[in-house]
Amino acid sequence: MNGYGYRLGAIGIVTTFFIIIFSTVLMPMVIFKPKTTTSANDYTVENKVSDPIRGRRVYIREGCFYCHTQFTRLQDREYGPLVKAGDFNFETPHQLGTERTGPDLTNEGNKYSAEWQKAHLIQPRALKPGSIMPSFSYLNERDMNDLVGYIQTLGNKREVKAYVQPPDEYLPTTWTGQELLKNKHVDTASDAAANAGRGIYTQDCAGCHGLEGKGNGPNSISLTKKPSNFTRPFFKQYSDEMWFYRISEGVVGTRMPRWNLTLSEEERWYLVAYLKTLQKDVEETVNDLSQINKPEKLRLPKLSNQQYEPHHGGH
Amino acid sequence: MSNLLDKFVSREEGSASRNFLLSAVWWSLWGMGAGLFAAMEFSNPDLVHNIPQFSMPHLRMWHVNAVAIGWLSMGYVASIFYMVPNLCKTKLYSERLGNITMWAWNLVMVGAMCTLLNGNTEGREYAELGAILDVFVVIALCSTTYNIVMTVAHRKVQKLYVSLWYFLGSLFWFPLVYIIGQRTFVALPGLNDAIVGWFYGHNILGMWFTTVGVGMMYYLIPRYTQAPLYSHGLSMLGFWGIALFYAPTGTHHITQSPVPEWLKAIAIISSIFLLVPVLTVLTNFFMTMKGKWQMVVTDLPLRFAATSCIFYLITCTQGPFQATRWVNWYLHFTQWVVGHAHLALLGTFSFILTSAIYYMLPRITGKEWKSQGLIRAHYWLKFLGFGLMMTSLTIAGLIQSAGWAMGMPVDQWVITLVPYWFLRSISGVMIVTGQCLFAYNIYQSLYSVAPEPAAPPKGQMKEVTA
Repeated sequence: MNGYGYRLGAIGIVTTFFIIIFSTVLMPMVIFKPKTTTSANDYTVENKVSDPIRGRRVYIREGCFYCHTQFTRLQDREYGPLVKAGDFNFETPHQLGTERTGPDLTNEGNKYSAEWQKAHLIQPRALKPGSIMPSFSYLNERDMNDLVGYIQTLGNKREVKAYVQPPDEYLPTTWTGQELLKNKHVDTASDAAANAGRGIYTQDCAGCHGLEGKGNGPNSISLTKKPSNFTRPFFKQYSDEMWFYRISEGVVGTRMPRWNLTLSEEERWYLVAYLKTLQKDVEETVNDLSQINKPEKLRLPKLSNQQYEPHHGGH
Repeated sequence: MSNLLDKFVSREEGSASRNFLLSAVWWSLWGMGAGLFAAMEFSNPDLVHNIPQFSMPHLRMWHVNAVAIGWLSMGYVASIFYMVPNLCKTKLYSERLGNITMWAWNLVMVGAMCTLLNGNTEGREYAELGAILDVFVVIALCSTTYNIVMTVAHRKVQKLYVSLWYFLGSLFWFPLVYIIGQRTFVALPGLNDAIVGWFYGHNILGMWFTTVGVGMMYYLIPRYTQAPLYSHGLSMLGFWGIALFYAPTGTHHITQSPVPEWLKAIAIISSIFLLVPVLTVLTNFFMTMKGKWQMVVTDLPLRFAATSCIFYLITCTQGPFQATRWVNWYLHFTQWVVGHAHLALLGTFSFILTSAIYYMLPRITGKEWKSQGLIRAHYWLKFLGFGLMMTSLTIAGLIQSAGWAMGMPVDQWVITLVPYWFLRSISGVMIVTGQCLFAYNIYQSLYSVAPEPAAPPKGQMKEVTA
């Protein structure tokens, strides 16, 4: 190859590199300018006792972001509302994080009292046995207060509309929720759907939750964590999506299964329609064994292999 | 005075490479030691109390920077300083500039140690170094580039071997990636900061560790096996594939955050396309090795290099696999990814660098390795230690993934990881022990009194004549 060929190669390297820089570094900087959302954290607090902006620097200095992330994902359960692009406009340098050895801190603010946070920073295992967070007892008083002040601002601008709300994955604010809505062809308010759901309920749910939904199915005797009582007025605030979420993903730590593994989306929507009809104005409580739905004792005929086994032919 | 100058910024042939190499090994002990210390604090969080310098996050910052900027990068520059003149059949353009670069780089490492252990960080993963240190790193990188470009310009052979393509490419784009990625003097709003941050975070790997490491493999494997490279065409395809597909992959680190979808799509697609150059490169190596595999039994540097190639294959199939949305959904945020990062940097590139050092040091200094047994021990400690680390981190990552996917509280699954943290500490002990034996072997080979009264080493000759 002559010298000219190498010159061509060098030009090739330079061009390739700059095209890539242009498309993945410069273009996003120009095109991607999310509007600041109301939920964006600008670290302001009422009744200032510490300086959260300085606290954020302590957070960075102590390297908290190596184990704690600050963005909730669609599938994250019980970490508060999902983040939006505009939430991060005041975050420089970003503290998104890439690894979670500890919980996500997006909405950590005011989950616990400031005293709790401080004690937890000094000796984590006193408050969370089994935690492997390092102790930050070496922080001086000012650093500690500012850091706690910062932690308490996290997520304080986010508004939660209702006490009971499914994860954002099921809400029409996200693309997964929109997909769900698009594929929903069941009118959950209709009697027909509720009737269809009743059949599924008696087959799959009544064993634990009872025929009237009082949480008193025959199987409830053996369960230490008792099944939900659907006659509770509390369940009136459940939205369709919340019911759907509960049925789909079950309840971790109980025997409630993830029905999305076995029931189709349509079947689950029918169930939602039926479950919504079970609430009463006053809860019908179940206190003792006598109130358990007992299955009828079967009176079986005398069984013989000959009668019930398939014929093998011959005689 | 000139004597002192010659001692510290020597003009002796090969001195820059040797000094870089020794510094790399020196910082590797600190970096790997810090990693072990941090790992022990995972399994025993109350190991130290009230010492901010030994707090886990501070150790982690120092560990990452010491092994990346200290051990691997300095070792890489050492290899480049040795290999490029050899490929060009000429001398390094300026040994003195090389030695000045070496001192600047060591200064950066001392500064990094003092600042990072005290938490003086910019708070950006992989770009923790402060502004002054950043400037020094860029100066060191640019002077290395200048030195190498001038060496290549004065070459005695017309044809550029493929390693030179890799080295020149890396030395061209890595300083730029570093300048863009540090964001020292700019303040971008959150998500843009993250986009640029991961452009850098992935390309310090893709445009520096990978490209120089692969260049070293291209240099070493044909020399070990005494066989010509299987195909020049394949090597060119591999080079252009890496140059094209590696750079835009950064955003696959944040596929689940609210950054633009088109950017995620570019990142994920190019991550998958990376399989093309990787398989091309490895086909080339394995075809070069064809019929020579029995050599790994006796040839220890080759054994390191071959192990490195196999780890490279595993890393680079794992990478595209976990960059796809369906898998990333499950595996992100867990120790699986930490395992993957170690597979690339420790398994692949640390192994090839070690192999290069075993190859280069006798050729630079003219002194043979004191102990073959120590080399063997180093190999097995590092290999088995790394295998243990990878296994424990991968299992821990899968447990964590299941925890997140099922919506379990952190308190519940974190306890189940304790045995795996413990295993990782043991693996750390093995790796650090191996590295210490390595350093001891180097010390013994270079500085113990040589029994043979052979001709004095080249350096002394030069001093007399000068």
